[in-house]
Amino acid sequence: MRKYLAFAAFTGLAFGSTWAQVDSLATEEEEDYSLYDNVSFADAGTKAYCTNKIEGLSPSKLISVGYDYQLGYNLTSINTPGGQVQDVYEQADFARSNGMRLALNVPVISRNDLIVQLGANYWNQGYSLENEGIDNPIAAGLAANGLRTTGMNLTVFKPFDETRFFLFQGSGDLNGDYSFSDIMPLKYTKYSAAALYGKRVSDRKMWGWGLARTYRVGELNYIPILLYNSTNLANTWGTEVLFPARAHVRRTFNPRSMLFMGYELEGNSYRMYRSSVPQNDLEIRRGELRFRFVYERSLKDFIWLSAQVGYRYNYSFDADVLPEGQEFFRGFFGDQPLAMEQSLTNPLYFNISLNLVSP
Amino acid sequence: MKNVLIALCLVLSGSLFSSFIQQGTDGDRLLGVWEPSNGRARVKVEKIGSKYFGKIVWLKEPIDPETNLPKVDKNNPDPALQSVPLKGYRMLKDFTYAGNNQWTGGTIYDPLNGSTYNCTINMRDNNTLDIRGYIGVSAFGRTDVWKRLQVQRN
Repeated sequence: MRKYLAFAAFTGLAFGSTWAQVDSLATEEEEDYSLYDNVSFADAGTKAYCTNKIEGLSPSKLISVGYDYQLGYNLTSINTPGGQVQDVYEQADFARSNGMRLALNVPVISRNDLIVQLGANYWNQGYSLENEGIDNPIAAGLAANGLRTTGMNLTVFKPFDETRFFLFQGSGDLNGDYSFSDIMPLKYTKYSAAALYGKRVSDRKMWGWGLARTYRVGELNYIPILLYNSTNLANTWGTEVLFPARAHVRRTFNPRSMLFMGYELEGNSYRMYRSSVPQNDLEIRRGELRFRFVYERSLKDFIWLSAQVGYRYNYSFDADVLPEGQEFFRGFFGDQPLAMEQSLTNPLYFNISLNLVSP
Repeated sequence: MKNVLIALCLVLSGSLFSSFIQQGTDGDRLLGVWEPSNGRARVKVEKIGSKYFGKIVWLKEPIDPETNLPKVDKNNPDPALQSVPLKGYRMLKDFTYAGNNQWTGGTIYDPLNGSTYNCTINMRDNNTLDIRGYIGVSAFGRTDVWKRLQVQRN
């Protein structure tokens, strides 16, 4: 009797499980997909919102560990008639300029009606000087201390409905020749922000326009910005544009292998905090255009390689005196004199990074 | 004969009991049709055995504009699966109900890039799911909000 009971209990449980499975599989085979053409949200108050992506966009990077390398170039410093620095400095020859670039981005709020992402970044730029005992305190300071950026950033994506959205990006960066054992006070933090109104007109196109407070040209500036992301029907070509910060044409070989052609405008204002320069409050207004090819591909699953090669074109390496870090606005048309004009020759550069990309 | 009848009764009652247990759990609240935030697909969650699976039952663009044929899983890294139709594809797999409105232990597949992610489902309310796809640890992920759909029967 006990054998019957055990058999019955086992058979019953097994049948129960199998019936559920068979029933489900049978349902799958007989599925009438046209049923799902006509649906409504179960919650009558549900509103649909557009997302922050379109099809075919390159994946967002959660973690990035990179290395940037510029070939040799020269630095010429020229005193300016109205400026505060009147010395004539020797031309500096840099054999290379290179350093690590680290970035972290973590989504902290992900809802259909709001996406908030926090990030942190650290860039280090070393300068390898060829002239020994050079009479150029700025070049000597760069060679001795390098430049670095440590910053945090915030991105907010707020959709209003299925097409319209608002995008905000803000960042605070501490830029200069400081070290972590001799770090600059936070009062020298440079704040940048961009606000943009846009439309996601289809699954393959979104655009927007807005205004940015930026240091990408080296010094503080307020400039209009334009977003234009698009992908063709076959997902083989596209654009990823946030003008004037960056603009790229994308060639997609497959979703795990892409080539970009375009440029990035990169820069910030760097305080000479440790270096012995003629003015203690000197800030280098570094802005450069990087015309480049970028190849990105998945090495394994979510680990992506990004390799860049390009031409670094100097837009600005001039210097201003900012007592106590008090910023001023010159814009494109202001006539405030520079403390020092500096020009750089333009080398090739390479950049390679390993990235953990976002789902 | 009497013993055989008793055994049959036990088989039926065991089966009914098992079925009752499976259908009556809190976990079954996940069953139904859901729409991801991008609105490009509708996903029907079913239960197979004790686990929950979600298959694509509707696509906003069912036809591949390149081939003019129904879309297939062309971005799958496994070439053998690249001709599998997307409609009917199980993009949610192997979820079990962990209690406290959470389904865990499963994966989510993104047909747009052919990647499979670890996934946790949290039911915010009966009609809203927080679907968190992540890589290794939950911090490295993204949450998408899915809404329950009602199928309009004709």
